[in-house]
Amino acid sequence: MQKVAGKFDVIVIGAGVAGAAVIRELSKYNLSAAILEKEPDVCFGATKGTHGIVHCGFPVDDAPIKNRTEMKGCLMMEQACADLDVPYQKAGKLLVAFNEEELRALQKALVSLKRNGVPGVELVTDKDRLRVMEPNISDQVIAALHTANTAVVSPWGLVFGLIENAVANGAKLYIDAKVQSITANNESGFLLQTSAGSFAAGYIVNAAGLFAGKVAGLIKDNSFVVSGTRQQRIVMDKKIEGIVRHVVRDLRATGAHGDFVSPTVYGDILLGAKVENVPEVGDLRTTREGLDGWILPRCRRLIPSLPPQMSIKPFSGYIPKAGADYLIKPSPVNSRFINIVLGGSGFSASLAVGEYVVNEILPSVGLQLQKKPGFNPIRKDIPHIHDLTDEERAELIGKDPLYGHIVCRCETVSEGEIVEAIRRGARTRDGVKFRTRSGMGRCQGGFCGPRVLRILSRELGIPVEQVTRKGEGSTEVLYRTKELLKEAKGGSK
Amino acid sequence: MSGIIERSVDVAVIGGGPGGLGAAIKAREAGAKNVVLLERSEELGGMLPQCIHNGFGLHYFKEELSGPAYIHRLVKELAKTDVDVMTQTMAIKLEGTRITALTEKTLTRINAKAVILGMGCRERSRGNIRIPGHRPAGVFTAGTAQRLINVEGYIPGKKVVILGSGDIGMIMARRLTLEGAEVVCLVELLPFIGGLIRNEVQCLRDFNIPVYTSHTVSDVIGKNRVEKVVISQIDKELKPIPGTEKEFEADTLLLSVGLIPENELSTMTGVKLEPTGGPQVDDLWQTSVSGIFAGGNVVHVHDLADYVTESSEMAAVNAVKYINGYLPVERKVNVKGGKNIRYVVPNTIVSNQPVSFFMRVTWPLKNATVRIGGLVSKKYAFVRPSEQIRIDVPAEMMKGFREDIIVNCDGEEDVAR
Ligand SMILES: Cc1cc2nc3c(=O)[nH]c(=O)nc-3n(C[C@H](O)[C@H](O)[C@H](O)COP(=O)(O)OP(=O)(O)OC[C@H]3O[C@@H](n4cnc5c(N)ncnc54)[C@H](O)[C@@H]3O)c2cc1C
Ligand SMILES: Cc1cc2nc3c(=O)[nH]c(=O)nc-3n(C[C@H](O)[C@H](O)[C@H](O)COP(=O)(O)OP(=O)(O)OC[C@H]3O[C@@H](n4cnc5c(N)ncnc54)[C@H](O)[C@@H]3O)c2cc1C
Repeated sequence: MQKVAGKFDVIVIGAGVAGAAVIRELSKYNLSAAILEKEPDVCFGATKGTHGIVHCGFPVDDAPIKNRTEMKGCLMMEQACADLDVPYQKAGKLLVAFNEEELRALQKALVSLKRNGVPGVELVTDKDRLRVMEPNISDQVIAALHTANTAVVSPWGLVFGLIENAVANGAKLYIDAKVQSITANNESGFLLQTSAGSFAAGYIVNAAGLFAGKVAGLIKDNSFVVSGTRQQRIVMDKKIEGIVRHVVRDLRATGAHGDFVSPTVYGDILLGAKVENVPEVGDLRTTREGLDGWILPRCRRLIPSLPPQMSIKPFSGYIPKAGADYLIKPSPVNSRFINIVLGGSGFSASLAVGEYVVNEILPSVGLQLQKKPGFNPIRKDIPHIHDLTDEERAELIGKDPLYGHIVCRCETVSEGEIVEAIRRGARTRDGVKFRTRSGMGRCQGGFCGPRVLRILSRELGIPVEQVTRKGEGSTEVLYRTKELLKEAKGGSK
Repeated sequence: MSGIIERSVDVAVIGGGPGGLGAAIKAREAGAKNVVLLERSEELGGMLPQCIHNGFGLHYFKEELSGPAYIHRLVKELAKTDVDVMTQTMAIKLEGTRITALTEKTLTRINAKAVILGMGCRERSRGNIRIPGHRPAGVFTAGTAQRLINVEGYIPGKKVVILGSGDIGMIMARRLTLEGAEVVCLVELLPFIGGLIRNEVQCLRDFNIPVYTSHTVSDVIGKNRVEKVVISQIDKELKPIPGTEKEFEADTLLLSVGLIPENELSTMTGVKLEPTGGPQVDDLWQTSVSGIFAGGNVVHVHDLADYVTESSEMAAVNAVKYINGYLPVERKVNVKGGKNIRYVVPNTIVSNQPVSFFMRVTWPLKNATVRIGGLVSKKYAFVRPSEQIRIDVPAEMMKGFREDIIVNCDGEEDVAR
């Protein structure tokens, strides 16, 4: 592999939503900035598994930074999604009560939300009205706290949008660039050794998520430990689109937010979440107890008509965190090295986090900021045949016939979209999937899988046996036909 | 200028498998003037080009053929006609008998007098049955693996566990073994094999492939690529029994856990479906929407491609009668599955023509009798869910028949529950 080297004013480590928000914000200024990601694509960490629910702020006592960024981030999201052409839907949320005790918890929450100035909140206690708002909700629900500004967003869509826009405005992205060592040097900053060559940086923003502790350790900063929780959930077929209109969520015994049935911007329905502390940090397994023993019955308690046979994909995510509040501050070892570890609601907070890090923290440790006059906030997504009108479809096919060749039957994804996704940086099947939705539908890639492999192989100029699902070690097909027979013969001599 | 093409045809066939091809040829033969066939793939043939084993055609061509050979004959027949064949053309919308389709040329709207559905079916995936564990590369449906090996030329892996004893799974067990891969075992939830006996003998027993019935896959291990597959015995509620786990090293897990008729298009325009996922059809193969007919696996999963072609041909003949305004509808009688009948097709009888009833049983029985209402009964030494039952009832018996028909199957227990 070709070694690249570069010298930047600021280097961001980790291309999850936190890093993406920071690099986009940096690209608004006259400075050189790069983002380094160890995986073969952006958004392959915790953010890949996020629900994409944009919470409007739910203040808790011991997390002032989270409270602040979550509320602000939520308010910033709609405009950013409009600029970056990212699917956004202001669905609203209904936090429900099944009994008087839970109702009292909702009343308390309402007071706290109002005190903190969260707009668009009300307590709905009229059962008839509740059923009009959410026709399939259980008739055991007696009241709901409605937060109108809760939205659903495409999580990976936001990361692709932020990073593509940052790159269009001059920032650099390096994938397959795992930061392996960092040496600090007082005058000019840092020297980073990565799997994609060495880089020099004046400032570092460590947004390595689950691995942020390890990355901080490279400059002997052992001031925090990253742990987290695993969340299992199930994606349901979009055939049941509309079974809920809002994010419908219950309360846990502790008063914290519990399980939910949520719409998504794509029409499928998301069920969650079995939340667990697991012995292995970053463990992404699903379990039968979690899926069939927890999620389905809990979600059917909220929406009794939910049909279990409509499940198309169970999966897990792991939320990294470093304490009750978000950790966003300069390292005690070197103030030019900023650590970020988010936690629950980290996606909602991300845009405000980017702004906070770039406009407040970095200047406070000496970074000079000067607005870039030509900054263009607008980015266009890959055109999706599925979302266009017939006229737009015909026009697009007229320009590029590949948009008329449907490769993914369930989500109506064309070859044109897949080729464009690869042009924009997809190197793996997951990279194609998250940019185009091919393979995300009800057959989960049974039909388009072999075809996408072929397109990736052709466009990247690599053999099919080298195409991976999500990077090293995840090769999709291992051999050519007759190869094993030759191997067996060779072995016997 | 948008470039949208609008066209009108007599009959539009959606899907170019053994069903769709048969329907298109027959529709033309029966007198439809303008026939168009839409196929989303690059090649015609549906599932059959990848079914390189034999076992096709005995009934329809009176000769044993491979899947590709079977389809080749139909494609040759089709080429003799003036049917407009559009490949790489995906029907994306159905509004009554008006189709919106995408091709590499443009978006086309086809106003048909009648539509024949021949979309076949798709395989259930890992997510449908919620197999827990890691989510690595290396988990495929058996049909996808079949396409990879037989059409694309790639072998998914060399140590393979297969879940489900459907026909595709068994055929792939043999195919992979012949390719030099090791089929570690085949695992089946039910206490008996789900596919044809012929395949059980020729694909599993002849190759000494270990079979675990009443077992399921309870865990998949491997962060990037499958490394291990864990299976467990199951209890009466089909749940894994803790402590019965067996762990196998494997790089691949294939799933042959059922087929679902592909009716997303049909339901767009209100075609009513049965619990099996196929549309309700009458004995003329018309669905609940007038002018929309259906044949082949889009209606129900057939054992034989021959019957797929045959049922689709009947759908085509009736579609042409419909266009010409003389569909022989006399009355409506409902047909329902009763004792030990999982489903029966057709769902209603409207004509006085001979009827072929297709059905599957729920549970295997021996010395069984199947009764089609009070019309006919037939005896079988064995009935199994995997072996489709076909009973033909002659026209004389159907004439004037007005009561609902309940189909029952009685017999003696064959497999311990
Ligand atoms: C299941 C789940 C559901 C969630 N639901 C919501 C929700 O609905 N709403 C909400 O607001 N929040 C939600 N969250 C929280 C939110 O998603 C996370 O807080 C947020 O995505 C974390 O983003 P991040 O950028 O910090 O981490 P990541 O996305 O993990 O990004 C870190 C990146 O750093 C890279 N990296 C690591 N080490 C190195 C290295 N040495 N060199 C280079 N790169 C490196 C990683 O590969 C990774 O790409 C959810 C999280 C999970 C897991
Ligand atoms: C693995 C396997 C092994 C088999 N073995 C045997 C055997 O040994 N002997 C035997 O007799 N039978 C066998 N069969 C059964 C036989 O192959 C099937 O019954 C037959 O292929 C079904 O035909 P069909 O035309 O209904 O559907 P398919 O063959 O599935 O064809 C449907 C076609 O419709 C197209 N289509 C779907 N939706 C659209 C759309 N929206 N727009 C355009 N096109 C669309 C699809 O691309 C496909 O080409 C086997 C089946 C399988 C799966």
